[in-house]
This record gives sequence, C-alpha cells and structure tokens, in this order.
Amino acid sequence: MIDYQEYGVQQLPHEFAIGGVYMPPLLVAGFLAALLTVLTAYLLNRYRLSRYFFYPPLVSLSMMVIYTVFIGTYIVGA
Amino acid sequence: MILTTRTKESIKTALAMTTAYGIALSMDWDNPYWAGFSVAFISLATVGQSFNKGAMRMLGTLIAVVVALTLIGLFPQDRWLFMVFLSAYVGFCTYMMGGARVQYFWFVCGFVSVIICLDAGPDPVNAFNTAILRAQETGLGILAYSLISVFIWPQHSGKDFYAIVSKLAATQQQLFQHSLGLMRGKADSEVLKDLKLNEIQEQARFGQLLDAAESDTYEVRELRRQWRRYQKQSIELTETMERWRESFADLQALEIQHLLPNLTVFTAELDERLAQINRMIENQAPDRQPLTVDLELNEVNVRKLSHFHRAALETTRARLQQLERLTQSQFDNICDIKGFGRAIDIVDTATPASNIFVFDPDRMLSVIRIIIIMWLAYLILIYVDSIPGGTSFVITASVLGMIIVTNPQVSVTQLIVPIAGSVAFASFIYIFVMPQLSSFLSLGPLIFAVTFIICYLYAEPQQGMSRALGLAMFVTIASISNQQTYSFISVAITSLMFPLVFLVILITSYVPVSLRPDQAFLRLLHRYFRNGEYLFSSDVDSKKQSTFIDRWRRAYYVRDLVTLPRKLGSWASHINIKVLPGTSAEKVQSIVTSLQVIDNRAQALHETHNCPQAEILIRGLSEDIKTWRKALARAFQNLSKDPVARKADVFRNKLNEIMEHMEQCIEDTLNQADEEQLTAQDSENFYALLGAYRAVSEAVIDYAYSTEDIDWVRWQEARFA
Repeated sequence: MIDYQEYGVQQLPHEFAIGGVYMPPLLVAGFLAALLTVLTAYLLNRYRLSRYFFYPPLVSLSMMVIYTVFIGTYIVGA
Repeated sequence: MILTTRTKESIKTALAMTTAYGIALSMDWDNPYWAGFSVAFISLATVGQSFNKGAMRMLGTLIAVVVALTLIGLFPQDRWLFMVFLSAYVGFCTYMMGGARVQYFWFVCGFVSVIICLDAGPDPVNAFNTAILRAQETGLGILAYSLISVFIWPQHSGKDFYAIVSKLAATQQQLFQHSLGLMRGKADSEVLKDLKLNEIQEQARFGQLLDAAESDTYEVRELRRQWRRYQKQSIELTETMERWRESFADLQALEIQHLLPNLTVFTAELDERLAQINRMIENQAPDRQPLTVDLELNEVNVRKLSHFHRAALETTRARLQQLERLTQSQFDNICDIKGFGRAIDIVDTATPASNIFVFDPDRMLSVIRIIIIMWLAYLILIYVDSIPGGTSFVITASVLGMIIVTNPQVSVTQLIVPIAGSVAFASFIYIFVMPQLSSFLSLGPLIFAVTFIICYLYAEPQQGMSRALGLAMFVTIASISNQQTYSFISVAITSLMFPLVFLVILITSYVPVSLRPDQAFLRLLHRYFRNGEYLFSSDVDSKKQSTFIDRWRRAYYVRDLVTLPRKLGSWASHINIKVLPGTSAEKVQSIVTSLQVIDNRAQALHETHNCPQAEILIRGLSEDIKTWRKALARAFQNLSKDPVARKADVFRNKLNEIMEHMEQCIEDTLNQADEEQLTAQDSENFYALLGAYRAVSEAVIDYAYSTEDIDWVRWQEARFA
C-alpha cells in the first residue's frame, strides 16, 4: 500500500460535494487561490509595496499558481 | 389603461421572441435559439433604428455565410491554415469595427463566420445546411421583430429627430451667446461647460436619429442630402465656435470694442440668424433675411498695437468671419429644408479628406488582441482534453473578445457580475421551471414572460449591454428545441466556460501592452508628442512632400494627432483616481482639454501655412519662423520623452524671448517695405500666420502648466490592476 504521507501529501485527493454536486479538488483550490491572490494584490497596493515588483501581472499569475499548489497540497488535497 | 412606452416596447420584443421561437419550432428547424438571438439583438427604441440594425445583421450574416463556406471548402483537412485565415478575416472585421460607421455590420460579419466555421468545421458534410440554417433563422428573427414593430404601436424616429434638431439648434444659439459673454468677460464658465457637454450629446443623438429617421420617416428620407449637410454644418459650427473661444485668452489685454467698432452689430446679426434658424426649425417662417455685415477694423487703433496683439486680433476676426459664413449657409439650408425659400443647390465646399489609407495604431492593437484571443482559445480547445464548452468556448471567446477589444477602456472584469447574474437567472428557469412545462402552449408564455421581464428591467439605452447579456444567456442556457433535454451538466459547463473565456481575454489586457487606463493614457501622451515633433520638425514641410512615403507618413501623423485627444478623453474617464493621490478627474480633464487646444491650433497653423505670404516678409522673417518652428519641435521632442513637462516657466521665457526678437524684426522689415509691396491681404495672411504660431506656443505652455501639480511618480510606478 502506498504511504502518501511519505511523499509529503497530507490527505488523499477527494471531491467536494456541494448540494449533491461533486466538485473536483483542483477547482476548489483554484477558486480559493484566486480569492487569496486578489486579497494579497489589494494589500500590496494598499501599502504601496507593489512598486517594488517589475511586472505585477506576472506576479499575480505566480501567486495564483503558488496558492493553488499550496492549498491543493496541504489544505484541500488536490 | 394607458401603457407606458417601456411596457409597450417590452411587450413587442417579448411577442417577437415568442413568435420567432414558435415558427422555428413548428418548422422543426435545428437551433431555434438563433432566431431568438436575432430578436434579442435588433430590438431598439424605434422602427428605423431596429430596421437599420436588422439590415446590418442580415447583410453581415449573408457575407459571413459566404466567407465561412469558402474557408471550410478551401481548408477541409488543414486546421492550422483554416485558423490562420479565419483569424485574419476576424482581425480585418475587428479593424473595420473601430471605424465611425456600420460597426455592427462588421461585428456580425466577423462573429457569425466564427460560429459557422466552428459549428460546421468539424462536420463539413453538414456545413452548407448549418450556414443556411443560420441565415434563415436570422432572417426569421429580423422579420418577426420588424413586422411586430411596424404593426403594433409603431415608434417612428421622425418625432424624436425633429425634437433633437430643435434642441441642438437652441443649444448652439445659447452657446454662441455665452461665448460672446465670455469674450466680453461676462460669462459663467460652468454654464458654458454644461452647454458644451449638451451640445456633444445632442450631436451624437442627432447622428443616430438621422440614420433611423432616414429609414422610417419619409419626409426625412426625401431631404436626406440636406439633413446630412445640416449635420456637417452643425459640426463645423461647433468646431469654429470652439476655436473662436480658444482665441479669447490672447485678447484679454485688448479693448476689443475700440478695435472692431461694429462688433456689436456683427454679433447681433449672427445671433439673429441663429434665432431665425431656430424659428424655421419650429416650422415658422423667418421674420427677416440675413443681412450682409462686414467686421471692420479700426485701422488707427489697430496700428497702435504690437504685432503679436494684432495677430491675436486677426485670429479672432477670422473666426468670427468664418462663423458668419457658416450661419449664412446654415440659414439657406434650413430655408431649403423647411420650404421657406427657393430650393438651392449648395455645392459642398469642404475639402475632401485625404484619400491616402493610413492605419490606426489603436485599431491595429485591437486586431492583434483578437487574433491572440482566438489562437489561445483554439490551442486550448485542441490541446486540453474536454475543455468546458468545446467549440462554444472558442466561439464565446471570439464574440466577447470582439466586443472587448473594440472597447479597450472596458475591463473584462466589469462583465463578470452581469454575466454571472444572467447565468444564474437563466439556470434557475432552465432547472426549476422548464421541466414542469409541456408543449408550446406553456413554453410560449414562459418565453414571453422572461423576455418581457428582462426588457422591462433593462429598458434604458445605457442598459443595453445588460439586456443583451440577459437575453443571450437565457436563449443559450435554455437551448429550446423540439427534442428538449434537461441536464445539469450543460449548465455547469456553461458556467465554467466563462471564467476560462475571461482568463483568455484578460491575458490580452497585459500582452502585448498593458491596458491599465493610467498606463494607456501615458502611452498615448508619448505618442501625441512624438507625432507633434514629427509634424513640427523643420525637415517636414508640406510643400516639399514629394515621395509617396513622405505623404503617407505625414497623413498618418496628422490623422493620429487629430484623433488622439478624443482617445485620451475616453481613457481619462476610466482612470481610477482613488489609487493616484495628487490627481483629480478635473486635472486629468484639463490635460485632455489643453491637448485638444494644441491640436486645434496646430490645424489652424497648418491651414494658415498654406496661405500665400508676401515675398518681402518671408525673406525678412524666414529665419525667425524657422527658429520658432525648431523650438516648437524641440519642445514636442522633450515632451515625447517625458510628457510630464515640469518646465512651464522655461517654455514661457523661451517664447517671450522669441517674440521680443521677432517683434523687432517685423518692425524693421515693415519699415523697409513700401506700401505697394504689401497689400491688405498680405498683411492679413501674415498676421494670421504669426497668430497661429503664437497660439500653438501658448497652448504648449498651458499644457505644461496643467501637468505641473499632478503627482506623476504615482502614475509611473508598478501596481496591481
């Protein structure tokens, strides 16, 4: 039997059921990541820290990917 | 019970939608929602407007059918070449959509070909049937709505058209009176600002209603040439009054009544002409005919002025004389239209626009964006397995993409809420209501009710986008057909498809260039001054243009310079002022206004430059004029590198220096010249040229001052959109 924890995966991938509709975990992770990205960008703008980035759109994209992987791996288990 | 216009219009659209569906279903045609789409998109306030839009939709569909079938026939086995040509064709249609007229026609030409190509491309055996079906269902929707709008509570455009003509004429007279007050230093600039805004809106409405009234009101159609001429005259009157007002700043130090002794009589005559035009528009015969009045100069007082003051006076006088000519021709034209005078055959003397084709860089950017959108969507369709929507994904991305790229100021994120709301509403109807129905007897009232509600809630013209999206989502998600099926998965797929479509479109908001409004504004400012630098550089003299490339370049720069203030104005209203401390909407607007002034004055300079000048003056002053031109070119060059001037005082000192030197040179040259060598016309032309140079320089200085108290550092630093 595969020990998933040995590979750093905390949970087995599982689907989300909302009102009887099954959602893939990547979709949920992506949705949460998008929300977090928007929040982070807002805070960076609010405290005038975004000027230290060379190209903010690319930073947004990178944050989105990082958050998706992070949430997918450690929180929802994509 | 008296129904409101809003209720009547909603009933008409709902009835047309139900009828179109009823006929399509009874004929057992596939995709009956195509007929529904047609009704949803052509329904407008009046019969004429709907006819025009319907005609554009039908003609566009027929052209798209031919193009789509040709592409499918030429590249049945080569998906890459197929897409190369399809995206190039859609790019062409997108470019044409950016023009001034028939944008909707080009939009239909483009998106219908994408629909047919992608619906029929994978199934070429049925391509012809799909294309013909699309054409016949579009025709059905147009026919259903047209007949209903003609026979049930017809709303003709004539009444609205005459009302707007009357309103526009009244506004122009008020504007003239207030401008006159401003010249005498007795006008409220706020009232003037409101009047200018009203005039712009009324002119836009005039154009729309004239198009519509030509289609549905016989009296307007019969006199369409005269009405078109009136439209041109009215626009010209607006521009001339604007230029006239711009010349007031230079007159402040002058006692204008002493210099132009019959100014009061002259302006009273112009005012009276405008009043008579209003009277005739209200169908009343004119009380009097226009009198011939000449705006005389008091030569004794004028000789006491400095040469630059004299030039400023000549400029204002030239504008007033131009207004006199315009009001005369407008009076004659309205006499002709309303039958109060003999029919006249006015020859349009307007100089024909340059016939050299020059491309518009902003429209080219739209083309690049739509091609990127189509290719991204197509590559995702091919390489990502089971992409939500399949070919519909590419179609939706292309259709929404064409709308977004031709309105680059509108962010795609602004569409998220209306589309999400429309999808939720349509999904509710599809999942919970439609399964309870059977036969068209119960489906028909549902279609009627839903269409009525959407049209009633979004009845205002500015809510057109929400109405169109609401109806489009209902028609798409309900997917009404004779073999009706219900599937939650199809709703879920449609809902999932939109975020992906938005993502694809969003990418093109950053690639190839950022479309953040403040960034776009700065980019256009750079371009504005680059164009100015080219046009003012001493090497470019219109009289020396010889090769085609030179003429083409000049035409390109001139056209771009003329259109840029309007484009900057449209971006200015979308700049998020809240994230730019130290900037206010008024400050941004004042920059746009000062650029418009530079533009108007540069055009005036170009016109005066073409007037013949006395040899003796040219000989004596050519070096000074060249120096001035070079200084202007240098100022534009500096501003093109950094539009944030910061050097208003330097510009001012430089200009004063040039003017002082020139004043002396002019004095010397005139002293040497004999009376015979210099005719009155020569002197008039020379002062006009001098005034035009000074006006452009003053406008650049005003621009420099208007940029001084803006915190540009904030504009230039990186920020998340």
